[in-house]
Amino acid sequence: MKKTVIKIENLKKYFKVYKKEPGLIGSIKSLWKRKYETVKAVDDISFEITQGEIVGFIGQNGAGKTTTLKMLSGLLYPTAGKIDVLGFRPWDRKPAFQKQFSLVMGQKNQLWWDLPAIESFYLNKAIYEIPDKEFDITLEKLATILDVKDILQIQVRKLSLGQRMKCEIIAALLHSPKVLFLDEPTIGLDVVMQKILRDFIKIYNKEFGATIILTSHYMGDVKELCERVIIIDKGSKIFDGKLDDIINKYARNKILSFTLGNGTSENDLKEYGEIKSFENQRATLIVPRIQATQIASKILNKFKIIDLNIEEASIEAVIREIFGDKNNKQEK
Amino acid sequence: MTKYLTLLKLSWQNGLVYRLSLFTWRLRQFLSSLMSLTVWTVIFTSNNNAFGYSQDNMITYIFLIAFLQSIIIASSLNGLAQRIYSGEISNHLLKPFNIFAFFAIEEIADKVKNTFFLIFETFILFLLFKPLISFPDFKIFSIFLIWCFGGLIMNFFISLLFGSLGFWSPQVWGPKFLFFMILEFTAGKLFPLDILPKILQKIIYITPFPYLSFLQIQLFLGRLNSNDILHHSLIFITWIIFLGLSTKYIWDKGLRSYEATGQ
Repeated sequence: MKKTVIKIENLKKYFKVYKKEPGLIGSIKSLWKRKYETVKAVDDISFEITQGEIVGFIGQNGAGKTTTLKMLSGLLYPTAGKIDVLGFRPWDRKPAFQKQFSLVMGQKNQLWWDLPAIESFYLNKAIYEIPDKEFDITLEKLATILDVKDILQIQVRKLSLGQRMKCEIIAALLHSPKVLFLDEPTIGLDVVMQKILRDFIKIYNKEFGATIILTSHYMGDVKELCERVIIIDKGSKIFDGKLDDIINKYARNKILSFTLGNGTSENDLKEYGEIKSFENQRATLIVPRIQATQIASKILNKFKIIDLNIEEASIEAVIREIFGDKNNKQEK
Repeated sequence: MTKYLTLLKLSWQNGLVYRLSLFTWRLRQFLSSLMSLTVWTVIFTSNNNAFGYSQDNMITYIFLIAFLQSIIIASSLNGLAQRIYSGEISNHLLKPFNIFAFFAIEEIADKVKNTFFLIFETFILFLLFKPLISFPDFKIFSIFLIWCFGGLIMNFFISLLFGSLGFWSPQVWGPKFLFFMILEFTAGKLFPLDILPKILQKIIYITPFPYLSFLQIQLFLGRLNSNDILHHSLIFITWIIFLGLSTKYIWDKGLRSYEATGQ
């Protein structure tokens, strides 16, 4: 049985936020009286992650993903609940713990902006007390895989976003952390660079047996890297399981695609489901999931069908549906 | 130890990146000393004594205040509150490195850099004003050096305390500006404090600010007797302990409220 590396129990983080009334009057009033409200950034979340897992954290902006990662890495002090990472309480910020994890934030810079990346690497070597030989081998390996050997001597501020992100990843991995928190690591990168980083994360996970939590707005990242996902919405966990199970649990529709014989019009199909497309007698229909087989059979009986496919909705569409539903309910 | 040395070297490199900014900052300090020296030289053309200071004493005072301004009062932590509020310190908090050691090294790097330039500036001012600076005996000079070190520690704690405002509010420039004004006045940067009315002096001596330059210079000029030295040494130590404990308490509280926002 695999070892539990991360354990969270009933974790909460509340922030007190100043709420300003709109307009100039509101601004003047705020000079002597201010209204504050409590925002529940993370509200009673529990989960466990075992060694070597790559878990995807999915949620809309402000769902509580980054706040959770910040608590896991000891940056934020929880309002309530327990956290155990590698047997440590992150908040204690023990050097023995800090030497075993890394937090990479796509929009944050740990490299010294005005100096070449190699200088930050040397500083990390000293801070994490990495032996010379180990440092040389790791740096050589990481710089080769990420193809950045030529840019290590260039000032960080003069690098492109992709180059900078690669260097950030190297800085975060020089001490070979056992746990990696990746917050939007591919944000703003082009598709080629996204692919390179994803491949790299996979390699790192396999080679070092590292436990990785990844948040990303790109479902491509999650689909390619994570078997397990945790969905967070407004600070609460709403799903924790295999990526495929999201479809079984949340998908309300299936997709029927078929090619019709001549003489059938778009109007003839309206009663069977929502028509997604109809072109050159090739039709795509969205139908309720539980009636999909029944509707397919009706269509086969009524029309001359050349071929027919029943497909699951895409994971992106299902996630959109989950959050779309929640937003709609809230608006109502 | 290696990590502290590496950080020190990196801080120097970083501090030398923006040459224009560095030179204009030094020029500002140089002109400030030049103006003070010129004003007091003019005052002494018609008087042998002003406010109880001879010309040599006053010129020595200006030279020393410029020196101590760079060594004790100038701080790389002036923007600390913004760095906290913007979440910039998160990087330091995540690493196996004491955050106070990190700030201390930034301070040392900054002060060594200042001293390096200050030696050239002082040399030019020496050539221009040809002051007669008489050094105190070895014992007093040793106490002077200890007090300078004490002032440096005290200012470090004060900077950390002011910086900690960033844990709770982004509005730090107002208080900081007010603090600078008070500091310039009460540390004896603009003029020696003993030219002020007695009642004002008494109030200022309750604060830690005279220990950031003024009293060190008084000691250097031989204007303090052994009782004064003992009395001020005791107050000095009390302030350092109080500020050190306050810094620890406030930072512990601040880190609990830290939101690691931004970026």
